[in-house]
Parts: sequence; structure tokens; C-alpha cells
Amino acid sequence: MDLTAFLVVESLNALSQAALLFFLGVGLTLIFGIMRIVNFAHGTFYMLGAFIGYSAVRFSGSFWLALALAPLAVGIVGALFELGILRRLYRRDESAFLMVTFGLALVLTELIRLGWGSEALQIEPPLTFSGIVFVFDEPFPTYRLFLVSAGILVALTIWLFLERSRLGLLIRATSQNAEMVHALGTDIRLVRSAVFGIGCGLAGLGGVLAAPLVTASIGMAAEMIIDAFVIVIIGGMGSFPGSLLGAVLVAFVQVFGEYYLPDLALAFMYLVMLLVLVVRPGGLLGKEA
Amino acid sequence: MALLELNELTRHFGGLVAVDHVSMRVEEGEVRAVIGPNGAGKSTLFNLITGVLKPSQGSIGFAGEDIAGLSTPRICQRGIARTFQLTALFPQMTARENVRLAAQAREQRRWQFYGGSGVFTAAGRRADMALGRLGLSAVADRPAGLLSHGDQRLLEVAMALLQEPRLLLLDEPTQGLSLEETGQAVEVLSGLLAEGNMSVLLVEHDMEVVFRLAQRITVLHRGAVIADGLPDEVRLDAVVQTAYLGGFA
Amino acid sequence: MLAFAPLVFPTYGMTLLTEALILGLFAMSLDLMVGYTRLVSFGHAAAYGFGAYACGWLLLHTSLPMLATIPIAALLAGVIAVGVAWVCTQATGVSFSMLTLAFAQLLYAVAYKWTGVTGGSDGLAGIPRRSGPFSLHIFITRNGFYYLVLLVLSGAFLFCRTLVRSPFGAVLRGIRENEAKTLALGYNTRAYKIAVVALSYALGALAGALYAPFAGFANTELLFWLLSGQVLIMVIVGGAGTLIGPMLGAAFFLTVEHQLSNYTEAWALFFGLIFIAFVIFAPEGIWGIIRARFRRRTAVESEYRRGVAGAQ
Repeated sequence: MDLTAFLVVESLNALSQAALLFFLGVGLTLIFGIMRIVNFAHGTFYMLGAFIGYSAVRFSGSFWLALALAPLAVGIVGALFELGILRRLYRRDESAFLMVTFGLALVLTELIRLGWGSEALQIEPPLTFSGIVFVFDEPFPTYRLFLVSAGILVALTIWLFLERSRLGLLIRATSQNAEMVHALGTDIRLVRSAVFGIGCGLAGLGGVLAAPLVTASIGMAAEMIIDAFVIVIIGGMGSFPGSLLGAVLVAFVQVFGEYYLPDLALAFMYLVMLLVLVVRPGGLLGKEA
Repeated sequence: MALLELNELTRHFGGLVAVDHVSMRVEEGEVRAVIGPNGAGKSTLFNLITGVLKPSQGSIGFAGEDIAGLSTPRICQRGIARTFQLTALFPQMTARENVRLAAQAREQRRWQFYGGSGVFTAAGRRADMALGRLGLSAVADRPAGLLSHGDQRLLEVAMALLQEPRLLLLDEPTQGLSLEETGQAVEVLSGLLAEGNMSVLLVEHDMEVVFRLAQRITVLHRGAVIADGLPDEVRLDAVVQTAYLGGFA
Repeated sequence: MLAFAPLVFPTYGMTLLTEALILGLFAMSLDLMVGYTRLVSFGHAAAYGFGAYACGWLLLHTSLPMLATIPIAALLAGVIAVGVAWVCTQATGVSFSMLTLAFAQLLYAVAYKWTGVTGGSDGLAGIPRRSGPFSLHIFITRNGFYYLVLLVLSGAFLFCRTLVRSPFGAVLRGIRENEAKTLALGYNTRAYKIAVVALSYALGALAGALYAPFAGFANTELLFWLLSGQVLIMVIVGGAGTLIGPMLGAAFFLTVEHQLSNYTEAWALFFGLIFIAFVIFAPEGIWGIIRARFRRRTAVESEYRRGVAGAQ
């Protein structure tokens, strides 16, 4: 494979990876932006999406149904958690949130293990996209192309939603000045539940989309939360465009790092996280710390 | 040589200039009030002097040394103490424990990780004295978070005093106090200022407090110094009156 | 009181008790960070696992006695932890927690891949309890080992208790309640944080180093984030900031694990739920609840809490 072909193929790989990471990161950054909570269970919601997707495909045979169902289900679980548990903690300090979402991560992980077992599960990509396309004479799965388009589509949708819709406006306003929004008569609590649900739902979407590529397994959660955190840190906590940038950066580092220095990829990621935290605590696009 | 010399001190946040080429001299033993409308840059000035923020330009000379860029603990150790606009205490510790921790910082073996009765006794003694001077002995054993707002402000002053500062920065000490509490605070403060040789930089909104305590007044507006002089001069200054829209004469 | 346990308990009980003590030490070490300085670590398993691997490796590949490998492993961990602490304390709050997790994951990945030294996913097996020096055999037996653990735990507890009551401990509490203020008083809080983190990891490694000859093996499970989570739960549920609380939490955890696992596979689930419940409703933990009924010292804190709750 010559250099151009290699670069193009690997970049496409990285972009499809970036799409998945974007779904993971955008929810986390949204939740942080509105609620100032870092949802430690975010990786677990991603995982949950994958497993629910797996079951949906098993029972209905339709990937598309799973694609619609999983994020919805995960979003509902998230919203319920916010309603039942997180609401009680808004007066406490941030370490309480951290621990409660950590507890949630443990509980969800165990639920998944009980529901689906510890074995890794695999689902097939939908027939429409299980083929291969030739890029520079190299075979490239169409599913990955689908991921890239899905990523772009969702990013656009979210952007439109935040900029044009009423709820989106409320969300943006709340992230800047929650008290003001509250004083203007909106029930902040509903906004919070909605945001948490949407954020988790997005993670679930990422999970179900990832399932055909990566076998769904229990061990995913810890890696995913670190990845999500790195993305959000790089792009800036609470910054939507930042999560896009972060996802792309991390994906490229991972894909090319895996190729050149396979064993060091992990360490490299943490190094990047560390550097960003030290040099610009607000993230590359975030506000100054 | 002045104790504190600010020279063209500037700090911006992106496009906003919070402190604009401020030059100021505070002598030993002087009580200087810094006043100005909200957003004039007073708190930023304090943050610069105490090392919480680094200046974008300019220098901060303290006792002949340029302290701009040093870390907060280092600056503290050189003899600058401050109170905060939003009360900063250790809420779950008792008032005495709060003050004792402040006193401990001046002890030789404050980091000692065993025993400590020597350190604690010495610090405790100084703590009790400070509590007495500020009229807080009665509430010494209550959790600091449960004290009245006025007592909390005084507790902060006690802690600042125990750092044995050469320069004390008081950030709106009477903020949120009732009329009566303000009167008490002013009594206590003027007593303290009379006995020591401490320099004081006082940020205040309450003009009566300013005129009771200050020897000189510096007026900030939009980050820049617009007047600097004796209280009576400043009071009659036209520029100052315009800045305050209605004045306070 | 615990010294008489071997006379009372059957063999199975003794093993359980020993494990409870080891976990108690592990939990107490985390309490220094979480309870006294509010530095929430999600990666404490790194200390435990490192201690276990280091001690295990030394026992397998050298002829050093157990009484030497255990402290060596702990000391080694402490030294390395200074570097780790320096890195992690660059950040605060959530970022700090994430860095500790990242470091633990890193160690996990290293242990997984470095099969030559660590045995990969199988880990180290057949770790002996080597006697010595001077033919000191008493700690080899089950009961003997129990006494060793008891001794170490008691020593560590006394050390920690002295520490938190010292001037150093007072500064830690200041950092916990208001770090900005502590800085403004002239304390170099970073140095204190590095010190407490390094100490905490060293003691955690000590627990791990005891585990290796106790169980006879060391594997990657000891570095996994689930263990980090479990020990954090032990601290919170037991009562953070009390030293004794986390030990109770460890005992509680072990009891629940052994009892419930007879009935249901979902015991870990229940434990997670209990954890969440405690964080919300009883943040002072089991020991905090017990103490509040008896001792006066906590009266200050409960008065504060009641006062704050009443004002809201």
C-alpha cells in the first residue's frame, strides 16, 4: 500500500472512530455544561447502548430498530436516574456527584453482567452497510463510511437543535446563567433532566453504533470513561465544538498511534490528557480556567 | 521607600482590561482605602497583589522586592495577609481551630506529622489572644460555619492578623453586615489599626467606614486610578463625583 | 480483643478475618486521601496491585524472607507514588480523580502485557510465605500470619492516628475544607497533598504486599478499576475521615460479599445501591452514625450540619 492510500484509509478509519467518540464526548460535555457534573457513568451508558442494541437485534432482526430503540432506552434510564437520585444532591459539593455517578457506573455494570453475562457479544452490521468499498484499491468497510456520515448528521442535528430550537436556547442559556433562566420562569429541573437524558441517550447511540465494530464487553466502561473525559478536557468542558475537535484529535492519535507504537498508545493518551490539563486547564477551546 | 509600590500594573482577560496601568504607593503604617463603583477592578487588584493572578504588565514591589508572579503561599510568607469578599473560612472547624490553623502557619514546625503539642499550644495561645482582641472569645468553640455573619467577618480578620502581616488587605470587611454590626466592626478595626504599625489596604463600599478608618483614598474606575489623595480632597474631586453618578459629598 | 480471635474462630473464619484486616488496612490508607484531604482517588487499586506484584515477585525470584519483601514493596510504592502524586496534584477536583484512574489503568495495561515479569492475565502464582530472618517461623502458619497482619494493621493505625492529630493533619483538614484559604494562610498545599498521596499509596501497597503471601497469588484483578471502586465504597460507607470507619466498611463489605453471594449473584449490585444510598442519606457512614450517638467531638460537626440544614 503506498503512502497516499495508507493515509487516506487510515484517516477514514480515524474519522469513523471520531464519530463514535464524538457521540461519547458530546453527551458528557453537554451534561457538564448544564449541570456542572462529570458523569462518571457515561462510559457505562455507552456500554448499555451496545448491549440493548444487541438484544434488540436478536429479538427483532432489525438493526435499524435497535438503532432507534437503544438510545431511547438509555436516555430514559439516564433521565430517571437524574430524577430519582441526582436531584437530591444539588446542594452538596462536587465530590458527592462524582461518587454517586461512580456508584451508578458500578450498579449498571453489574446489571449488564447479570443481564447479558460476561461474555463479549457481537452483532452484525445492517445488510445495507455490511459490504466493502474500494478506496485506492484497498478494501474498506462501508459500515465505517456509514459511521462517518452518521457522525456528521448527528453533529449537524445537535448544532441546529442548540441554535434554533426553543429547548436548545434554554440549554445554552442555562449553561451560562442558570439562575437567570430560573428567574425568568423556566423550571430548571426539567431542563436538567432533559439534558441528562439526552446526554446519556447520545452515549447509548454511540454504543449501539459501535457494537458491530467492537464486540460489546464488560471491560469497555473504564476505557470509555477515560476516553470521554480526555475528549472533553481537550475540547473544553461544556463546549460543543470542543467535543467535536477533541473526538477527532483523540481518534487520530489512537488510530495512528496504534499503527506506529501499538503498546504505547495508551500511555500516549494519558500524556496528552496531562499536557492539556497542565497547559490549558480550560481545554483547547474552553474558557480560561 | 514605600512598603507597597505598584507600577503600571495591568491585567487583562481577553479583551477586557480589569486593571489598567495602576500606579500606587502605600507607606509603612498607612491605612489606604481603595474605592470605586462595581467592576472597577478592586478585587482583581487584590488578587494580583496576593499572587492569585499574574499581571499582564507592570510590577508589584513589596519591601523593595518584586513579588509579581510569586505563588500565593510565598507572598504570604513575606508578610501580606488578606480577607476575602465572600467569607472564606473552615466551616466545620470551630472558631478557635480556624484561628489556630492561621497561627500555626507562623510556627517553625508547622508541618510536623507527629505529636505537635508544642506547636498546638503555642499556636493556640496566640489564637486565643486574637479571639479576645476581636471580641470573639464567647464563640470560640462554635463551628465557624454557624457564626453570625458579622462574627465570621471578624474571624477572618483575626486569622489575617495572626499571619503577622506587614500589609493587610481587607476586602469589603463590612459587606453584608447590619448597621449595628458595622458599627461594632469599625470600633474593633480602628482599635486594631491604632495599636499596630501595619499597613492596610481597604476595599470598601460603605463611605462612612472609609472616612472613619482611612488616611488616604485611591479611587478606581474601570480599572484605572482616577483620584488619589486625602479623604477631604477626594470627596470634593469632580471627576470622582461624576464617576459615582451623584457623588457622596 | 482481636488478639484472641484464633482461639475462638474456626479455620475458615480465620482466613476471612485476615482478609478483612488486610482490606481494612487498604481502606484506611485511602481514607487519608479521601476522608482527611478530600482527594477522591478512583485508582487506589494501583497501590494494592503494585504492592502485591512487587512483594510476590520478590518472594518468587529472590530468597528474601517475607518480613523483608513486604516493607520493601511498600517503600518502593511510596517512592514511585511521590512522582505519581506530583503529576496528579497538578490538577484538582474531577481532573485529579481522572488522573488517578488513568494511572491505575496504565498500570493494569502494563501488568497485562508485560507477561515476562507479571505473568500477564494469569498473574503470579505460588507465592510462598518465606520465613526468616534468623529462622523466624512463627508468621508462616495461618494463625501466625494473622498475627502478622494484625501487628502491621495496628502499627499503621497508630501511625495514621498520630498523623491526623498532628499539625500536619490540621493542615490536611484545612485543605479539605477550603484549599484556597489554606493557601492564603501561607501553606504550600501542593507539598502537603503530594505527601499525603504518597503516604496513602505506600500504605495501600503495604496491604497489597500482605495479600500476596496471604493468598499465594497476584493477578490483574488487583489492579482493576472495580477494586478501586470497592475500596472507595468501603471508605464512604464505613465513614470517611475517621480511620476506623473504613476498616468497618471493609469488614462490612467482606461480610456482605460472603453472605449474599450464597443467595444471589447480584450481591455487587446491592452493594453499589447501598453505596449510593449512603452517599445521599448518610454521608458520615456507619461509624459516623455510631459515633454521633456517643461521643461529644462529633457534636460540633452534627451541630454544624443541623444548623446548615435548618437554615435551608
